[in-house]
Amino acid sequence: MSEPTPDARQIPCSSRVCRRLFGPVDSEQLHRDCDMLMAGCIQEARERWNFDFVTETPLEGNFAWERVRGLGLPKFYFPAGPRGSRDDLGGGKRPSTSSALLQGTAQEDHVDLLLSCTLMPHSPEQAEGSPSGSGASQGRKRRQTSMTDFYHSKRRLILCKRKP
Amino acid sequence: MELLCCEVDPVRRAVRDRNLLYDDRVLQNLLTIEERYLPQCSYFKCVQKDIQPYMRRMVATWMLEVCEEQKCEEEVFPLAMNYLDRFLAGVPTPKSHLQLLGAVCMFLASKLKETIPLTAEKLCIYTDNSIKPQELLEWELVVLGKLKWNLAAVTPHDFIEHILRKLPPQREKLSLIRKHAQTFIALCATDFKFAMYPPSMIATGSVGAAICGLQHDEEVSSLTCDALTELLAKITNTDVDCLKACQEQIEAVLLNSLQQYRQDQRDGSKSEDELDQASSTPTDVRDIDL
Repeated sequence: MSEPTPDARQIPCSSRVCRRLFGPVDSEQLHRDCDMLMAGCIQEARERWNFDFVTETPLEGNFAWERVRGLGLPKFYFPAGPRGSRDDLGGGKRPSTSSALLQGTAQEDHVDLLLSCTLMPHSPEQAEGSPSGSGASQGRKRRQTSMTDFYHSKRRLILCKRKP
Repeated sequence: MELLCCEVDPVRRAVRDRNLLYDDRVLQNLLTIEERYLPQCSYFKCVQKDIQPYMRRMVATWMLEVCEEQKCEEEVFPLAMNYLDRFLAGVPTPKSHLQLLGAVCMFLASKLKETIPLTAEKLCIYTDNSIKPQELLEWELVVLGKLKWNLAAVTPHDFIEHILRKLPPQREKLSLIRKHAQTFIALCATDFKFAMYPPSMIATGSVGAAICGLQHDEEVSSLTCDALTELLAKITNTDVDCLKACQEQIEAVLLNSLQQYRQDQRDGSKSEDELDQASSTPTDVRDIDL
């Protein structure tokens, strides 16, 4: 997004608009605050989805995560990484930790879907339902389209009732 | 065969989509969802300890100048201010981070709205290199996370065409009305008292102020200002008194900006550079006469 491509807009070298507004900026503090806020975001997402987005591991909670295959996503959405793109057909485990849960690729322009999650009906206010961890998906599933659909994992909800 | 010459402006623009503009559901949907994108609280009172209202004005003025110098689309600046306000409504921020935050918000808004977005490098130069592109990219993720990736906020600009097409024909003045209304919207975005107003009200008030302002010059419309306000209020389901108050506030802010500008001009000893630095007036406000 930020590569210095030559574009039609002028380069602002000597412009009077170039100015710092609030004195010196402490890079160290910027970095610390950035890490702290990012950690907060990741923790929030972790609790929201009972999924560790750092190690890409499912956790105990309202959602049951399962591997999904065969829903061909365009390769475009596949996370770029050090691994080769199509040399490991057939679902072999990949070495990189960040792709621990990725299942094998398909041919041509499509890769298989990575993960799906299903809402488990096991929160306290809900009487019936299976205990957590079974991963069984019951009832109707609803495809939900949102940005996160293409963000490493696919999720499906069967119930909209959920603890905030 | 029709040939188009598109070489003058490198930016490609879609033509106005009549299917969107002439369908009332679009306007109704915009009115329904606009509240979702308002900042959650008046953050100077309840969240921020270090940042003062005048600092928001400083960073907003700088952002507007960057957007103008880079000839950004009109929507970029108000959208960036929406991101800034929503972030500040949730995250206590030291003032030393405020300019970086403003740059990140412009970076995101520009990517969302423009075919050739602002680059990180360029934005860093505009901060006098007080931040590095890498820091901007890291903070981009932080801001995205805190905004929950909800970037397609409704801005006052989304309403302008819907409002204009429902007014009685304004003849050739229409483009002038649009231009003035856009300037008022930018002016509102620099002033915190408008930050919690629904975008539709700012848009309606801006169009009202634009038309009334132009009426002083010459015969623009057959409507009186009061009749106009009532018509405008109907279009966006706004309460008439609220709308009147909003429009008066816009006119007051404009007047204030113009007086500030004229006073700066009278101080002839100041160089043009100092003058522009001291003034918090958006540049093209100066083109407008009331």
